[in-house]
Amino acid sequence: MTLQRRPRSAERLVLGLLATLLAGAGTLLAGQAAYIHAKAQLAQILLERAFLASIGTGQPVKPWNWADTWPAARIRAPRLDAEAIVLAGSSGQALAFGPAHLERTPPPGNPGTTVYAAHRDTHFRFLEHLKPGDALEILDASGARHMYAVTHTSVVDWNASGIDPTAAGHRLVLATCWPFASRTPGPLRYLVHARPSPPTDNRTSRSND
Amino acid sequence: MPMKTDTNPLPGPAADAALAHRPWRRTRQALICIALLAPASLTVAASPARAEAPSGPLTAAPHPAPATASPIPPSRSARPADARSGTLLLKGEDGRTTEAQRLATDYEVEVSGPTARVRLTQMFHNPSATHVEAVYLFPMPESAAVDSLKMVVGERVVIGAIKERETARRDFEQAKSEGRKAALLEQERPNMFTSSVANIGPGETVVVQIAYQETIRRTALGHTLRLPLVAAPRYNSKPLIETVDLGAEGWGRTVADPVPDRARIEPPYADPRVTAPANPVSIRVVLNAGFPLADVASATHTLTVDETDESRRVVTLGAGAVPADRDFELIWRPVASRAPTVGLFRETVAGSEYALAFITPPTAGETLQPPLPRELILVVDNSGSMSGPSMAQAKASLQFALRRLRPSDRFNIVRFNHTMTQLFNASQPATPDAVAAAARFVAGLEATGGTEMLPALDAALADVGSPSENTHVRQVVLLTDGAIGDEHRMFDIIAGKRGRSRIFTIGIGSAPNGHLMARAAELGRGTYTYIGAVNDVEARMRTLFETIEAPVVTDLAVTVTGTEADVTPALLPDLHRGEPLVIAAKVTTIGATMELKGMLGDQPWIVRLPLSGGAEGRGISKLWARRKIADAEVGRILRTLEPAAADKTILALALEHHLVSRFTSLVAIDQEISRQPGQPLARADIPLNLPAGWDFDKVFGPRLVAPPREIRAEDRKHLQETRLTGEAHPTSATTTVQPRPAHAARPVVVAQNAAATVNLPPTATDAELRLLIGLALLLSALAAYGLARRDA
Repeated sequence: MTLQRRPRSAERLVLGLLATLLAGAGTLLAGQAAYIHAKAQLAQILLERAFLASIGTGQPVKPWNWADTWPAARIRAPRLDAEAIVLAGSSGQALAFGPAHLERTPPPGNPGTTVYAAHRDTHFRFLEHLKPGDALEILDASGARHMYAVTHTSVVDWNASGIDPTAAGHRLVLATCWPFASRTPGPLRYLVHARPSPPTDNRTSRSND
Repeated sequence: MPMKTDTNPLPGPAADAALAHRPWRRTRQALICIALLAPASLTVAASPARAEAPSGPLTAAPHPAPATASPIPPSRSARPADARSGTLLLKGEDGRTTEAQRLATDYEVEVSGPTARVRLTQMFHNPSATHVEAVYLFPMPESAAVDSLKMVVGERVVIGAIKERETARRDFEQAKSEGRKAALLEQERPNMFTSSVANIGPGETVVVQIAYQETIRRTALGHTLRLPLVAAPRYNSKPLIETVDLGAEGWGRTVADPVPDRARIEPPYADPRVTAPANPVSIRVVLNAGFPLADVASATHTLTVDETDESRRVVTLGAGAVPADRDFELIWRPVASRAPTVGLFRETVAGSEYALAFITPPTAGETLQPPLPRELILVVDNSGSMSGPSMAQAKASLQFALRRLRPSDRFNIVRFNHTMTQLFNASQPATPDAVAAAARFVAGLEATGGTEMLPALDAALADVGSPSENTHVRQVVLLTDGAIGDEHRMFDIIAGKRGRSRIFTIGIGSAPNGHLMARAAELGRGTYTYIGAVNDVEARMRTLFETIEAPVVTDLAVTVTGTEADVTPALLPDLHRGEPLVIAAKVTTIGATMELKGMLGDQPWIVRLPLSGGAEGRGISKLWARRKIADAEVGRILRTLEPAAADKTILALALEHHLVSRFTSLVAIDQEISRQPGQPLARADIPLNLPAGWDFDKVFGPRLVAPPREIRAEDRKHLQETRLTGEAHPTSATTTVQPRPAHAARPVVVAQNAAATVNLPPTATDAELRLLIGLALLLSALAAYGLARRDA
């Protein structure tokens, strides 16, 4: 009996230790995951506030003191009831807080192709559900509203997007990582292409009040 | 001439290394011939250039050898890679290819007191089977008076003549098409030159020797010799492509290219991950300080220093030849209390007397009054070229500056790449909260993107109706590597908006743009310093900040009595601690007296110098002329000179004093035909090393060739059609694409962007992955716990 009991208590100790370790590591990782999402959510609240202030003052307003970016626009998909504040510039930090307006692409309403990119598991999760014909509404920092309609979607390599920001015509492209179900980073990007739709067209702009 | 066979003294593994240096060795041997032949060949010279026999290690080389360059040793693993330039690639042990060395450079520097004479010898070797024209973009100090070009072909030395830029270019092009060897030295920027050598035959080596004169810079750190060794890639603002903005009257504006000569300053760069460093450089400095030396050191290279006597040293590189991938800096300091405070040197050229004076203000009595509170605007470059060590240096420097703020000071931070952000909308009092917010802002800076310096500088200099107008000294500190091609736009902004602000520049990294640093500081009535290593930050920032607390001498004026005099610089700077005033003058008789007046604190300070007391110096006239050219450029920027008048002055000075300038080039043309009509000639742009510490991808963007993709062809077709017709193509989100593994084969780097398409940033977080693993771990923890309980 004693011979059996000793390994048993040792086993218990090891198992107990293992359980504690595993629980600790698990909590840490889950916490980090929660933090990423919380940061994305919380930042949007601060950004919303700064964005409204920008429209009010006509000056870029930084969401918090040490931010290296500022809100540039708000994007809404009325059918899916999804919206997000878009940030100027696409540094890694900006992307953690919201969709980014890629450098060297024109602001909405200007000729060329405007490109917004965001994480597939936070702000641009809704891209998966966008369908051709869906309306997109962009409110820029000057308070102007631009309406777009989704034309099609495509999948490309990150470095061969085929998007020429200076091409003639007005276009909007939303970009995120693809496939949506994947849990590891990859080279592919999912693009939603949209073209301006006349603002008087109520068929696609149901939410336009 | 005695001839010896050159036996390779390095057996075994070292022989491989020697093989790589073989062309270098041979060219060195060829150089010996310059030394032997130069005096004899001078009769051939058609130009008034000073005769200089190269000296030093070149003549001291042990093996005199035939001057005709022999074909390169056959390299076993060489394969032709680039037909355009005829590059040979040799595979090294670490998998990186080594280009068959096509260029080696030797610097022979003679420092005598306050001036240096630098002879730089470029050996162009053609390892290919066709004739080539080699083109090499390289830096020189921004204040260098470049006055001599020689080309050695076989046994002939051809001496270059100074000509107007277009004439020189035409002569060179004609010689090139006739099949003659020719060398051309052109200025792209005051610190960036191109040397072109036409018709180098297969296997041949052509040696080009360039010489310049410069004054030794003296700061609180010591006497500094700086040899820029590599021209860093510049960010060239794109011409804005915009729809023309037409007004009601039908008139609109288009935008001019901010860098019209972009093609001339965009050489190829070798990716350091793919190609081993090339372009070896050797340096030898004969230092005759003129005063007893305390120490001689370099923060950039390891040195071998030989002491000849208490004021002389011979300095060579400890490692022998090094790749040209960072600037060389040598600093020497006098034994305390034995530093001279005044120096005067003169030279007689063509009936005119030239004088060069160095006057150091007294450093005693510095604690006259407590310095005024400052309004400090820190401007930091966080563009892609700053990534890596440079950004670390910049951040450490900023944190140092923040720590030095006093509560009575005001401050702000402006960061820029192709976008810019100001920490505060206007400068703030340096409260602990504000400083802490600034420290967080600095810590979060990341180096990425392009370099649009203009808006940031504009914001930093905006100072209208500031509350600190009469209470604070306004100082703008600019931290950058200056890797931009449109310096003139910066200077215009500084000249137009400097107001009461003083501008101090800090050159960051291994190869900062000295022209930008020096000129911006001059226009901004400040001073400049360099930081090349994180270890340097503390010492150099402290020196800079001690220096800029307050200028030591202000309101300087110079008069020369007893003769007509042409004095330069036209705008006398304020003197900072440890910095001498350097004045060059051209006078008709030497029996004159120079009088210098200024305010030392609130005391008048006067120095009288009888010019006849000066010691004989060499090249003083050239230094004077070079300084006058800089004055004309500054006058042009400040609008005190008409552009046309300034340009005329520069051209006249450059032609008279045999100097390379914006409007003049040196050209040397061989008499003999070395390429027969019908034989092809290829152009070979010598690829430059990326400056040490730079990140290739951050500078050039990940210019990658995408490997064949598995996306269905229709998708691409749709994309193209959409672009062409503007039609909507509802397409499948059901493409059968398998994600490639992230570690797919290393893509090949191409030289040019294939198309102006947008690269998409990574847009996946690992939140879900973390969550899943986290949950799995928690589950197993639960299981383990359950097991432990059951066992109990």
